[in-house]
Amino acid sequence: MPEVAPIQVQVTQAQIDAYAAASGDHNLVHVDEAFARTTPMGGTIAHGMLVLAFISDMMTRAFGRAWLESGRLDVRFRAPARPGDTVTARAAPAGGSGGLLTYRVECVNQAGEVVINGTATVREAED
Amino acid sequence: MGAQAHDPADRLSVPASLTDLAPGHEFAPATFTITSEAASAYRQATGAGGPLVIDGAPAVPPLAVAALALGALLRDVSLPPGSLHAAESLEFHAAVPEGATVECRAKLAQRSVRAGWVVSVLVTDLFHEGALAVSARATVMSPAGE
Repeated sequence: MPEVAPIQVQVTQAQIDAYAAASGDHNLVHVDEAFARTTPMGGTIAHGMLVLAFISDMMTRAFGRAWLESGRLDVRFRAPARPGDTVTARAAPAGGSGGLLTYRVECVNQAGEVVINGTATVREAED
Repeated sequence: MGAQAHDPADRLSVPASLTDLAPGHEFAPATFTITSEAASAYRQATGAGGPLVIDGAPAVPPLAVAALALGALLRDVSLPPGSLHAAESLEFHAAVPEGATVECRAKLAQRSVRAGWVVSVLVTDLFHEGALAVSARATVMSPAGE
């Protein structure tokens, strides 16, 4: 199975704010520090879909068009990513059959805590 | 800015809370256009690489299609404070080019209450030129009683 190169991103509040503007998801727990401090999160956190984008981008870089036309993601959000965190997206081969390749995927923070984990499946390249 | 909404729904009304909707609730079909500017803003915010060019047209990152649809949906339904995105399943069926108009069909597929949380499952199908491009299933947990 092809190796998938990991991606590392340092999450910033500016990036979270930019994602809120780009996606239209302005939930206060992401963009309002004063509000977020009153929640069990204790401060702002990145959108789950922002962190998941790191995995999708990693798979896009590895598989290109096949990812856009046959990719599948099944993930759970395990822990929040916070401003200042360094998040690494990575994939490990988990087998293949019927022309499909499956990877275990995850995002971990600088402490090794799992932020997202699950599986990614993509059609095997034809050439 | 996000995608440009075409849906004529009254955006001035207060959105319904997700936890107030009945299981099986279907949202009014909506269309939105993913402009080059919206795709670029998404790529810049997520750090994604430059667009893949497919059949001569730059393609929108596939997760952006789902994320922008979710953003559009949040104009019609509010999430109670403290809501968490617990899980997500996505299937990408076809590339969506920048500038494309996408039709969004969404429904609240499931809702249950567990251990003080309302668990909602939103299923969204996104069509480009009549063909299914992206399907998504989001599980959202909201504090019960909010």
